[in-house]
Amino acid sequence: MNIHRIMAIMDASHRTRRTIEQSLREIDRRALNAMVLVKRNGNTLAGYGVVAQAFREQAVLLKDAANPLQQSIAPLVRVYMQILQHEQFSGMFRRSAQATTGRKRALEFLCNSEKHWRRDIDAEEDEGVTILRQLIDTVIRLQEGIAEQEYVVTNGRIEAALSERTGAPLMRVSHEMGLAVTKVREAIWTYRGKLEEVLHESGTGV
Amino acid sequence: MRAEPVFETGTHRWWVLFDQDERRVIDSNVYVVESSGQSAVLDPGGFEIFPQVLAAVAEVVPPTSVRKAFVSHQDPDIASSLPLWNACNNNIQWQVPGLWEGFIRHYGALDAEMVCIPDEGGSMMLGDRRLDFIPAHYLHASANFHLYDPEAKVLFCGDVGAALLPPGHGIWVGGRRGAESVRGFDEHIQHAKYFHQRWMPSNSAKLDWIDRVRQLQIDMLCPQHGAIYAGENVKRFLDWFEGLTVGSAIAR
Repeated sequence: MNIHRIMAIMDASHRTRRTIEQSLREIDRRALNAMVLVKRNGNTLAGYGVVAQAFREQAVLLKDAANPLQQSIAPLVRVYMQILQHEQFSGMFRRSAQATTGRKRALEFLCNSEKHWRRDIDAEEDEGVTILRQLIDTVIRLQEGIAEQEYVVTNGRIEAALSERTGAPLMRVSHEMGLAVTKVREAIWTYRGKLEEVLHESGTGV
Repeated sequence: MRAEPVFETGTHRWWVLFDQDERRVIDSNVYVVESSGQSAVLDPGGFEIFPQVLAAVAEVVPPTSVRKAFVSHQDPDIASSLPLWNACNNNIQWQVPGLWEGFIRHYGALDAEMVCIPDEGGSMMLGDRRLDFIPAHYLHASANFHLYDPEAKVLFCGDVGAALLPPGHGIWVGGRRGAESVRGFDEHIQHAKYFHQRWMPSNSAKLDWIDRVRQLQIDMLCPQHGAIYAGENVKRFLDWFEGLTVGSAIAR
């Protein structure tokens, strides 16, 4: 286990959650502004109204999909920190065994103790990999939600182009929504990359 | 372990991590202070609860933002997690009572950077804010400090104000942020009485601390066990503590 990689995951998890929260707030605000614009223009922008509504609904779904992210990271941190605790014990017995010469019984005791902790660590590492896989599954579901949101953004751009003659600044609104979604997508991709690095390192592949 | 904000304004925040899952060791609160992107953990906790403490810390701040750790005294529930913290983040500077440095190093991590707090106290910078070490000697350890944040008006008071509460307890004395009720305080203080009578050894140390603390502006009194005293409950606690005879093991 590389503790620095685990710390990097914890930092990335924190950053990703913040980015998602901020971006979803931003998305919701922009979609609300767009709906106000649509109302002001009566039926002319009805098509964009549908898109803005879909955008808000999708943002809520994304928020729900992002919730398990934090719930899954806590057990992951706990199990890796238990490994860290037990590695301290295992290391202590290993060092003591190395320093013990000529006392067979003591050496045997120290080696057995180290083996005992090593077995616990192996079991915990397996548990860590299981949690990591679950976390990656959550991230993949989140990415699917983002792909849906991007589809809505594309529709919004089309509707905005069709409504250009009304003079409502829908192209700008769509562009800003697109930027917010891109921000979430990039944060999630980076996060997934970090999780997969740890999974690869554990020797199990993805 | 649950995390709850204690104080929040701009880039300056305090959180409490409380109600640990492990019941075989004494229930402890850990506080996290964040100032302009840097964080500190106050009495970071024991070896056995480290996994849940770190998981809770990660909920509120990026763990690599932790630059300082404050250790009020040498007890294992305060600092035996030191080698684990150091293995995760060796950029943490440990602020420890000078008298206890050599003892605290027995927990491991001989390479950890320790800064000794002299008996008269001092201060440390976190981000762009100053946090003060308030002497609280003999409450209960012979070298003991509390940490005061003059901007947030929060005093982390270690074992003073501690209470032995059942699992699932709330974090505010008298309910949400103090709730200002005398009844809530009276109910809570029953859980604090034995702790102070038995763990606190010196009545004169107690009075010395009360004099010092009454000169500070305090909105919240945050102990390492139990619940937080807010608003009027701060004064209620100081008055109650003043009238309590401590050192009960030899007073019998």
